[in-house]
Amino acid sequence: MTPLLPKRELILVSIAAFIGLVVLPCLNAFTPANSALHVSSFTLSVYGKYLCYAVLALGVNLLWGYTGLLSLGQCLFFTLGGYALGMHLMLLIGKLGQYHADIPDFMVFLEFPKRFPETGGLPPHWIPFKSFWFAAAAVVWVPGVVAFVFGWLAFRSRIKGVYFSILSQALTYAATLMFFRNDFTFGGNNGLTDFKFILGHDVNQAGTKRTLYIASGVLLLLVYLLCRWLTSTKFGLIQRAIRDSENRVLFSGYATADFKLFVFVLSAVIAGLGGALYVPQVGIINPSEMAPDKSLEAVVWCAVGGRGNLLGPILGAVSINALKSYATHAFAEQWPYILGGLFVIVTVFMPKGLIGIPEQLRELKRRFGPKHEDKLAPRPVAPTTDV
Amino acid sequence: MPLPNRSTNYATSAAQSGHLRPATSPSSSRQGGRYTSLTQILDCPSSSATFECAVIFQAEILNRKFPLRGILATFLLLLTLLTATAATQTHRATLSEAILSDDATKQIELVNQLIEAGGDAFVVQALGAWRQGGVFLHETNETRTPFLLDAQTDGEGRAKGIRVADGAPLTDSSGKPLLFAATDLTAADTSSKLRKAIKTVLDLFAIANPDPKMRRDAVVKLGQDQNQEYLQHFEVRLKTETNVDVLKGLYEAMELTRIASDDASVRLAAIQKLSDLRSISSLNFLQELEKNARADTGKYGEETLKAAHSAVIQIQDYMKLGNLFGTAFRGLSLAAVLLVAALGLAITFGLMGVINMAHGEIIMVGAYMAYVTQNFFKSWFGASGIGFDSYFIAALVVSFFVASGVGLILERGVIRFLYKRPLESLLATWGVSLLLQQLFRHIFGAANVQVSSPSWLSGSLVVSDVLFAYNRIFVIGFAVLIVFGTYLLLTRTSLGLQIRAVMQNRAMASCVGVRTDRVNMLTFAFGSGLAGMAGACLSQIGNVGPSLGQNYIVDCFMIVVLGGVGNLVGTVSASIGVGVTDQILQPWLGAVMGKITVLAAIILFLQWRPAGLFVTRSRSLEG
Amino acid sequence: MTRKQFILSLEGVSKTFDGFKAINDLSLYVEEGELRVIIGPNGAGKSTMLDLITGRTRPDSGTIEFADKTDLTALNEYQINRLGIGRKFQTPSVYVDHTVFENIWLSLEGSRSLWSCLSSRVTPSQRERIGQVLKQVNLAGKATAKAGMLSHGQKQWLEIGMLLAQNPKVLLVDEPAAGMTDEETIRTGDLLMSLAGKHTIIVIEHDMVFVRQIARTVTVLHQGSLLCEGTVDEVQADERVIEVYLGRKKKT
Repeated sequence: MTPLLPKRELILVSIAAFIGLVVLPCLNAFTPANSALHVSSFTLSVYGKYLCYAVLALGVNLLWGYTGLLSLGQCLFFTLGGYALGMHLMLLIGKLGQYHADIPDFMVFLEFPKRFPETGGLPPHWIPFKSFWFAAAAVVWVPGVVAFVFGWLAFRSRIKGVYFSILSQALTYAATLMFFRNDFTFGGNNGLTDFKFILGHDVNQAGTKRTLYIASGVLLLLVYLLCRWLTSTKFGLIQRAIRDSENRVLFSGYATADFKLFVFVLSAVIAGLGGALYVPQVGIINPSEMAPDKSLEAVVWCAVGGRGNLLGPILGAVSINALKSYATHAFAEQWPYILGGLFVIVTVFMPKGLIGIPEQLRELKRRFGPKHEDKLAPRPVAPTTDV
Repeated sequence: MPLPNRSTNYATSAAQSGHLRPATSPSSSRQGGRYTSLTQILDCPSSSATFECAVIFQAEILNRKFPLRGILATFLLLLTLLTATAATQTHRATLSEAILSDDATKQIELVNQLIEAGGDAFVVQALGAWRQGGVFLHETNETRTPFLLDAQTDGEGRAKGIRVADGAPLTDSSGKPLLFAATDLTAADTSSKLRKAIKTVLDLFAIANPDPKMRRDAVVKLGQDQNQEYLQHFEVRLKTETNVDVLKGLYEAMELTRIASDDASVRLAAIQKLSDLRSISSLNFLQELEKNARADTGKYGEETLKAAHSAVIQIQDYMKLGNLFGTAFRGLSLAAVLLVAALGLAITFGLMGVINMAHGEIIMVGAYMAYVTQNFFKSWFGASGIGFDSYFIAALVVSFFVASGVGLILERGVIRFLYKRPLESLLATWGVSLLLQQLFRHIFGAANVQVSSPSWLSGSLVVSDVLFAYNRIFVIGFAVLIVFGTYLLLTRTSLGLQIRAVMQNRAMASCVGVRTDRVNMLTFAFGSGLAGMAGACLSQIGNVGPSLGQNYIVDCFMIVVLGGVGNLVGTVSASIGVGVTDQILQPWLGAVMGKITVLAAIILFLQWRPAGLFVTRSRSLEG
Repeated sequence: MTRKQFILSLEGVSKTFDGFKAINDLSLYVEEGELRVIIGPNGAGKSTMLDLITGRTRPDSGTIEFADKTDLTALNEYQINRLGIGRKFQTPSVYVDHTVFENIWLSLEGSRSLWSCLSSRVTPSQRERIGQVLKQVNLAGKATAKAGMLSHGQKQWLEIGMLLAQNPKVLLVDEPAAGMTDEETIRTGDLLMSLAGKHTIIVIEHDMVFVRQIARTVTVLHQGSLLCEGTVDEVQADERVIEVYLGRKKKT
């Protein structure tokens, strides 16, 4: 079949990886702060954030672009991963919090010692999160399990298309309401913040920030390769077959629900991993990050970049977030107009996103160019993908 | 029998305070240690006030059509006319004496004597002032004179001092009024016991307040004190009271007071009476009595225990029933809100299959249109009256048309390109929702706007202690109306026929000459118009702000999916189901957890019936 | 009863959609290796019957049994397919975004488990089998073309090819000749006839020329019930069939 990476993409990815994983961190570490080439730790963290969003976008793409499942709950999984690591980081603050207590500040503030006297205020389910490895495992299994339960229920009863989207939105909405509650023991609407250390390092140190940035880059690369591999297998073919004609796949003897569940859980885990690296770099995680709106935004990154291929979502996530960072500084009032406008324009006029622009231009040329008029082939109805 | 002179005093008080409204609520009229209406009170000769009161009182009596009592009262009134002026002066002197006294017990005794002084607004005022530290002492040589500050101040913030003893201004030797600044003065002392005594006296005054609501509150509160001393005052009031609510309160208060009586027969009768009255406010007291009686049967007697026990059960049953009706009503009204909000979506999503994430924002447009209409009416007719009250009718119409206009633009501009790509129409319309939200934030500001209800939608109907708010009743009625209207439109008009034809088989409808494009457009506009009316309706219930739509969108989709897509009956049933379930769960789980539980229940329910409550089956292959 | 020789037996099957009796007390027995043609006017319940057999819808009453008395009504679509019942839909349904080769590959007999799909290897024997199938359905030259680019008739053949690749015991073929040229129709008929014997085939068709070409036993459905059964000539001579199709006489 097709090679794992077409040559052009291999070159592109290698260059991007080299710049992202080697050049930028070096510029941060080895150039003086006043140099024109210097990349500040702050900038690096911002880029790290974009990379985490790109990981999330890859998960969305695996679901939507390849399997045709539009989940409006991907940010829930992203946030769950973030919370899992965030809980560990909260416990590492120790007495350095504002109340100088053994338990995180919000627990003092919300009078948890009265609620959980036997543990000194720490809710019992927080205790295992003292271990980094437990937290790291939770980053994977918590989103995975939530996705599994919801997906199993939804796919078992053949909920698909927009109904799946609406239900996943309802799930996310319910979860958001839950996390906003103070007595849900996850910090209420303030969420988790004021992290001090990670694995014994100060989170605000340049070195730690650089490492976290590189980790995000590596994660993105690995997830990219995983998706690349998965979509090149027979599994990938079935994924896209489900997207285009689920009944045919079902009547060919494949248990489509299992395939969909697998992809759903996988993309939830990917989102969770992205969220876990996002939290220490941004320094805060709160329930507004999981609201249905955020998940929709992630879908837009995919749509803008171009879904159904792997570079599109990365391009979309990074470019839109860079634009957002710029726009919210320069003209905050207008940002919702831009975002909303992007949604409309991209979905109506650019179904293949940025990546698809050259193809769309070629199409236009073919249509209006006098030479090839006779060769006008019927266009496939479904969006094409490059394998 | 009540004492005649007391009777007259209450009569006087009622009439006089009716005349001098501001003076009777001392605490509310207090401003920076001064009393706004002091001069006004003093300007009103008490004798003429008393005379007026006599007329009013007589009118009241005649109204009640109790000829015998009326004659008696008229007789008593004549007596009052003779004694009133003298009594007024005595009360003021008594108050002055009480303030000056150093003996706390004597002070309280004197204050208690003032119970009869409710007719003198100045005494009421001064008592209230004393309690709140608004009475000061003017000391000259060896005399001390208590006084209040007049409301009117000069340029330097000083005011005349008004003597408590006679209500005349303090003057210096040359007869010029003395001026004081509040900040320079120290208030006359009061102990907490004294303040409490004053409070009781003031409360007893309050049962003669001209405002029935205040009267009722005072009566209820006094009844809960179970002070046997008050009984006589209640009975006096009972004779003159005309307001049904206050009368009911009086009865309850009297019986409530009597259950604390030492006389077993009085007690038993009172318990029975309260039980018959289904007096919810007495429940705690009855329970307390039952507990005490159980603990000390010797003192209370077996019968009291039994009576109290059955009364408690009686009242609790009554409350349960009331709660049941209350929950049912709240559930129905929530259902109506959901239905009103979701009906437009049932058309656009259910019938047309368009995922319109901007549905919530179209509701918001409707709500803002109600606000705009209200503002226009306010500028034309002022902020009240029939002209203003009718704004809401106009608002419903305006909201419908503006929202359907927005829907029309949305359908022509975006959705028609995406009929075959439902997931993408979801995204595009979400983009539109962002645009609309920001647009309205720009125009009307990020804060909520104030939409005031017309008078016919404010307040509530009280039936057996259960409140039915008029705006909620309206929403229920409105929901019924628009569902019926929609049903008629779909089944009895040619547009409805075309809509149904296009929704069932677009290609076939197109072949037989239905202009599907136009039908799509009109259907979407109609659905949006319904959403707009929903917005106007919701503006009467909740806040109107740019994020209004966001609060409803998830619920709306849930309702339509739960009901079964493309099915009006399903949408109605789903609304009622969700609304009532939510209200049943809320007392146990709280609002948020209740909502979460309902969402989870819907997801689980769809496991059982994936196509919703009512399935519209189609024979087409790709169903 | 001599039921054991039937590979597919429907007994007293009924299915109602919103009060409309799509299938009404239908009993049908198909022997192993048989080529059965089912005809009937629109709305006779032909496609619904296939839906019932393949698990797309469940009957309200009645039993549907496969070979050694496997109850099909308790199974879902992919389980029924794995038993060896393949179906070609009325409207060609192929994976438009995949190449012809991939379409066949996905349908190829073999493990359907999720884990076995996590590989992209096409074994030489698979490749050979795919080539064979493509030749059978006359698509050998189109292996790398996207299925969406094929003509309607070619899509029909591709779907038949996908069915063949599964090597099913029973083939349910819904209107295979629709949208084909006369020549293609004849080829399709030849193909189906060559498969009969090894496979059991149930064909639903309207085109009487085609029916004549392939049919041995014809079953006529009307209003969800079996109207008559027999050879083409017998059926065409049957009064009731003529009545149903042409409506010459009023039904009593």
